[in-house]
Amino acid sequence: MERQTVFTLLDVERTYELGKAGWFGKSRGRLKALDGVRLELRRGDSLALVGESGSGKSTLVRIMLGLEPASDGRVLYGQHDLGQLDPAARKRFAREVAFIYQNARGSMNPRLRIADILAEPIRLHRLRPEAEMTGRVAELLARVGLPAEMAERFPNELSGGQIRRVAIARALAAEPQVIMADESVAGLDVSVQAQVLNLLRDLCREGGITLVFITHDLGVASYLCERIAVLYLGRIVEQGPTGAILGNPRHPYTRGLMQAFPKFGAPLTAPLKGEIPSPVNLPQGCRFAGRCPEARDACRETDPVLAEQAGRQVACHFPLEVAQ
Amino acid sequence: MSDATPMPASAWRRRFLTPIARQRTAMVGLAILAVYVVGALLAPWIASHDPTAQDLMAALQGPSAQHWLGTDSFGQDLYSRLLYGARLALVIGFASVALGLVVGVAIGLAAGLIGGRTEWLLMRITDGLLAFPELILAMAFMAVLGLGTENLVYALALSFVGPFARMTRSDVLQVKSQPYIEAARLMGVPTAAVIWRHVLPNVVSPILVQGGMRVSIAILLESGLSFLGIGVVPPTPDWGLMIAEGRAFITMAPWISGVPGLALAILLVALNLVGDGLRDAFDPSTQRE
Amino acid sequence: MQTATIQTAAPLLEVSDFSLHRGAAAVLDRVGLTLRPGETLGLIGESGAGKSTLAMAVIGLLREPEVGLSGSLRFHGEELTGLAEARYRKLRGNRIGLIFQDATAALNPCYTVGAQIAEPLRRHLGLSKWDARERAVELMTSVGIPEPRLRLNAYPHELSGGMQQRVMIAIALACNPELLLADEPTSALDVTIQAQIMELILERVRALNSSAIFVLHDLALGAQVCDRIAVMYAGQIVEEGPSAEVLARPLHPYTRGLKSCVVELGSEDLQPIPGQVPPLNAMPEGCRFAPRCPKAQDVCRRERPAPETRDGRQVACWFID
Repeated sequence: MERQTVFTLLDVERTYELGKAGWFGKSRGRLKALDGVRLELRRGDSLALVGESGSGKSTLVRIMLGLEPASDGRVLYGQHDLGQLDPAARKRFAREVAFIYQNARGSMNPRLRIADILAEPIRLHRLRPEAEMTGRVAELLARVGLPAEMAERFPNELSGGQIRRVAIARALAAEPQVIMADESVAGLDVSVQAQVLNLLRDLCREGGITLVFITHDLGVASYLCERIAVLYLGRIVEQGPTGAILGNPRHPYTRGLMQAFPKFGAPLTAPLKGEIPSPVNLPQGCRFAGRCPEARDACRETDPVLAEQAGRQVACHFPLEVAQ
Repeated sequence: MSDATPMPASAWRRRFLTPIARQRTAMVGLAILAVYVVGALLAPWIASHDPTAQDLMAALQGPSAQHWLGTDSFGQDLYSRLLYGARLALVIGFASVALGLVVGVAIGLAAGLIGGRTEWLLMRITDGLLAFPELILAMAFMAVLGLGTENLVYALALSFVGPFARMTRSDVLQVKSQPYIEAARLMGVPTAAVIWRHVLPNVVSPILVQGGMRVSIAILLESGLSFLGIGVVPPTPDWGLMIAEGRAFITMAPWISGVPGLALAILLVALNLVGDGLRDAFDPSTQRE
Repeated sequence: MQTATIQTAAPLLEVSDFSLHRGAAAVLDRVGLTLRPGETLGLIGESGAGKSTLAMAVIGLLREPEVGLSGSLRFHGEELTGLAEARYRKLRGNRIGLIFQDATAALNPCYTVGAQIAEPLRRHLGLSKWDARERAVELMTSVGIPEPRLRLNAYPHELSGGMQQRVMIAIALACNPELLLADEPTSALDVTIQAQIMELILERVRALNSSAIFVLHDLALGAQVCDRIAVMYAGQIVEEGPSAEVLARPLHPYTRGLKSCVVELGSEDLQPIPGQVPPLNAMPEGCRFAPRCPKAQDVCRRERPAPETRDGRQVACWFID
């Protein structure tokens, strides 16, 4: 009983040519934001993309949304190549896949009332007759826990937590099948964050929505998503079920991220030295070798491939032992 | 494409009326402006004389019951000329700004939205217009077009095209890079609707504010050109002309230049107060919220 | 051992009955705190709790007549409220070091990193240009900036966020301050860098035997880096005590609520605190947390609870179990 595949990414690559030095100069190099990403998303999945800033998680989502083309490899939505959708299919994609921006306030036209912001996708895709619009807007607001009076307000009259809820409501307005969200709880106060997280979790559980959630917070990832993909310098280094990965990380980077995550009752540790290097002119061998406490000679020579082991995929020559 | 639902009265009041009403000095400016507008509108009824009727017997008279503000060297009634002059000043000021705004905004929108070669070409033309000071540009065009009220409007409008085009383009570019534009595209909103609903409303208020501020510049330029003798044709009642005429009699009949000069100064101050008020009320960078 | 000496030493910073008003609204309401030499204290709470405001008041960036102050702030026994600006300038950057959240904004983009580290050294310690430069190199080494001599001439934008924060730390610690004030020093950074920076700050603070006040919103991080924490809500300190105990067994309902909102690895269910922080101009009469508190009774809505000492901590609640 296989669930339907929603997104398939086949060896997706994204490179940026850096500006040239002077008019006739040579290109200063290529920035590889994504490199050989393979991913499959099925209906009802919830996937967290985790990594430090500069790991390529936002680029990955922008490519899945069709906002940027892949330099190499293929992105399939259902059975069709995302880059070659005909206008009708393109429009259907716009309705079925909703995106929640990190900058929720910036993603809303400041001159429109919340009611108009929420009604826009409904009118666009003719999901409800005009007569039912007010009711539908109130329903959406209620769904995200906001009073109906909010409909008359303008975005700059709402607080940070409220505007994130409106952003979620707008995503729901299109009655989508897939919701992608970029750091949708980052920067919120914990009590507000908890409210928004619970809301998102309920939506996924009840609505059968497929969720792709970008976050740098492993706690958030584990709370919301059943699957995790850990990215490092444009490549997935470990991916699989959340419980398995966070219970027994096999990639040293995953373990490092987990240890750096603040915890009650554990001392502060900084397991990963140094910073994520620039993705320009990457070294030969494993990208993580420079910061890896377990790195050996082999790591600096050959680049490990993502391989199936212990119920998840890991890209490491010497994966950590599964703790008993 | 669906139209934006009309804003209910309360929202309209909250976004437009209240912010303006909160600007005290702007309200003073607006009141003065209203007096000018009423005077200009009612000129045919409240003027005591025909503004161009000459009466050489009554030339160079000071204020009296017959001629409330005195007469000039041709014996024309200054009070009546002042009222008709206000009419001309306001019409030329607003008409030239409106014309310049429409053309400039169209150029700016096209450049900002289309981009590429079109943008390059349009912006080079704009640079050419901006290379000359407004007064010089208007003078040059008056020299080409010839004297007259209508030509004056065209010349002034042309000198405003550059600033409006440049400003609109930079605003459009700035708005275009906002996440909400991308968000609208992502939701599948057609390009025309993106421009109409999301780009235009966000560039329009700084343009209108700028337009309001430019009306006073237009009136000043218009008077300046007429003063220099390359504006409207005498004996049209025009403040610039009136000041120029009075120049020769400044010691014996100072009111000839003084009356229109003072009227001009007060109007410009009032317009600037209104312009500043509009800016403070609608410019997001000075908005407190 | 160490705690014993801390308990007996004279307080470094003493805040008592301190209130700060903006207009009629009390942004800080009768706050009391004691910081002893060598201690690290965390001010924890959500936005609007007043934690940054308290920090700003301590370093004299919020002063009369801009805001209304009452109560007292004593640094080494010296009253800080009403202190002359000239005197404050001798404290700031010298005996009190500052680290801000956004290093990019706090560093001047027009000067090199070296010049900015050398500035307090020359101003407060009167070092010569050359000496200040040498000391800057030492400081940069101590905060873990690789190739300090090369980076001396770098401008802030040429460094990564983590490196900029390290530069900020070097500047803050340049004059060996007795007190370090760090306002959300890592909230703009990745967790891996956050751990490095926090470890670095703690290591330097201990090496200099200074005290530190951290303004934080992350409870777990507070537990990891602070000896004591003060939990703030709507301008009041609701609970204050040794961090391990406060977070392991919170006594105040707000601390408890806050803790149940924190996502940890493997969290099953989050219980958000219902409602929102009331606006400053509409603060409730009694306990400010009463409208959101599950245990609130009439007395809570009527009268504000005074801080009560319980198990070595201060708790402001009518119903401590």
